[in-house]
Amino acid sequence: MQTGIGWRHPHYGELLERQLAIGFLEVHSENFFADGGAALAVLRRGRAHYPVSLHGVGLSLGSVQGVDAWHLERLARLVTQIEPVRVSDHACFARASIRTSAGLRDVHASDLLPVPFSDEALDTMVANVQQVQDRLRRSISVENLSAYVSWDGDSMQETEFLIALAQRSGCGLLVDVNNLYVNALNHKLRDATVDPLQECRSWLDALPAQHVTEIHLAGHADCGDIVIDDHGSAVCDAVWALYRHALARFGAVPTLIEWDTDVPALDVLVHEAMTADGHLRECAP
Amino acid sequence: MKNLAAQQQALLQLLFTGAAAPPALPHGAPAATGLPFHGERGLRAYRANGLALAERTLTGAFPVLAQLVGAESFTALSREFWLTHPPRCGDLAQWGDALAQFLQTNSQLADEPYLPDVARVEWALHVAAGAADQAADMASFALLASADPATLSLRLASGTLVLASNYPVASITTAHQSGTPSLAEAGAMLRAGTAEHALVWRAGLRPCVRPCGPGEAALVTALLRGASLLAALESAPGLDFQGWLSMAVQSGLVLGSGSLPTPE
Repeated sequence: MQTGIGWRHPHYGELLERQLAIGFLEVHSENFFADGGAALAVLRRGRAHYPVSLHGVGLSLGSVQGVDAWHLERLARLVTQIEPVRVSDHACFARASIRTSAGLRDVHASDLLPVPFSDEALDTMVANVQQVQDRLRRSISVENLSAYVSWDGDSMQETEFLIALAQRSGCGLLVDVNNLYVNALNHKLRDATVDPLQECRSWLDALPAQHVTEIHLAGHADCGDIVIDDHGSAVCDAVWALYRHALARFGAVPTLIEWDTDVPALDVLVHEAMTADGHLRECAP
Repeated sequence: MKNLAAQQQALLQLLFTGAAAPPALPHGAPAATGLPFHGERGLRAYRANGLALAERTLTGAFPVLAQLVGAESFTALSREFWLTHPPRCGDLAQWGDALAQFLQTNSQLADEPYLPDVARVEWALHVAAGAADQAADMASFALLASADPATLSLRLASGTLVLASNYPVASITTAHQSGTPSLAEAGAMLRAGTAEHALVWRAGLRPCVRPCGPGEAALVTALLRGASLLAALESAPGLDFQGWLSMAVQSGLVLGSGSLPTPE
C-alpha cells in the first residue's frame, strides 16, 4: 500500500493497538517539537511500525523574514529522531512584523497565507527552501495551497512558480488535489464561466511529473459564498476524478488522506486510503 | 522596504488589526502592496480560522480556566488574546505563556482575581507535559546514606515548579480535573481566603499538580535553584524529610540524587 493517513490524536492508541496495513503515517511536525512527553513517545511507537511523513504547517517558507531559526532547529531534531520517509511544508508565508500600539511586533499567523507569484517571492522561497534543505541535509517537498485571497500583479502562473521553485531549489512538489479543486471552485464563484475540473486538469498537466513526490487528498466545505479546505469530510467524486488524472500523469506517487476536523472512525479513514490505493494501482502508468 | 515585505506586512496587519493599510508603509505602498483583489470574504475566512484556532489552542492548554469562565466568555477571551498577543512562532504550543498576565490586566475579570494564578498553574502543567524525558535512578539514592548532604542534591522530575498563590489554585485545578476536592469544597476554600502553594511536576508522562505545604514548597524551590540538600533542608526546618522523600520518590517527583558540581 502506497497510501497513508493523517495520524491524529483520536487514533493514536487505536492504530498502535490494531497495527493496520497502511502505507505511511503523516503527522504535523510542529505537534512534536517538545523536548519530550507523551506525544513524542506515541510518535516513536508509531515510527517503530510505520514509515512517517513529517508535514509542517509553520515553516513559513515564503516569508521575507526568512526561516525561524528556532523552528528549523526543532524540525531538524525531530527529523533526526524520527527518520521520516518525507519532510514537507507549504508554499506560503505566515511570518511578518505588524505595527501595534506597542510598536512593531513579529507575528506568526499560524495559517497558510499565499505569496504573490512574483520573481521576488520566488527568490525568497527558493532561498528559504535551500536553507531548510541545507540544515536537514535532505530535500523537502513543498505543497500548493488553497488560497482565499490573491495578489494583484502576479508575474507568473502558480505552476510556473512551483516548477521554478523545484528546479532552482531541488525540492519536490507535493500536489494537493483538493486544494486545486477548492481554488477552482472559488474561482468559479467569481467567474461563472470557469470549468473547475478543466481548470484543475490544466494545472496538473502543466506540472512535470519528475518534480511530484506526493499527493494529498481531503474533503472541503462549501459555505455558499466561499469553499473552504477544511479537511473535514470524505474526498468528493470530483477530487477522485482529478486524482485519477494526476496518477495517469505523475505515476504511482505516494498519496495521503488528510482528515483533520470532525475526525471520523479510523476505519473510515483507512477505507479512504484503500480507495486511493485502488485508484493508484489502476491508473498509474 | 521591498514590495514583498510590504505585501506580507499588509496582509498580516489586515488579519490582526483590521487596518486597511499599515501606517509605516512607504509612499505609494498601498497600491504597490497589491492588496487581495477578492479579499474581503477570503480575509474573513482567514480571520475566522485564526480565531477558532486560538480558542482550540487555549482550550487545550487551559481546560480548567475554560470551565471556570464558561464557554461564551472563553471564546471572547481567546479572540481578544489572539488579536492583542498573536503568536510569534509556528509552534502554537509555545503560545499562551502571556495569558496569565493578560487576565490580570483584564478589568472584566477583576471580580475573579484567582483566574491568573489558575492560568499560571495550567501553563506550568502544559510546559511540564512537553519537558524532556527523564528516567529515575533508584540506585543513586544510596548516596544519601554515605555522602555529605552539603555536597548532594536531589534530581527533580521534568517540569517541576512551585507556584505561590493567595488562592487555593491547586485545589481549584484538581477539583476540575479529578473531582478531588469537590467543586463545593474548592469553592468553600476560595471563599474562606485559603492560600496555597501549587506543586507541578511530571510523573512519567503525566503532568501533575497538588497543593503543598510551606516546608515542601521551600525545599523544592531551593532544590530548583540548585541548592545543596543541606541548604534546602535548612530552608524547610519543619519538614519530615524521610517521610517526604519516600512520598516524593513514589509519586515520581524525585528521580534520584547526585553530587553537586564542585566549585572551581
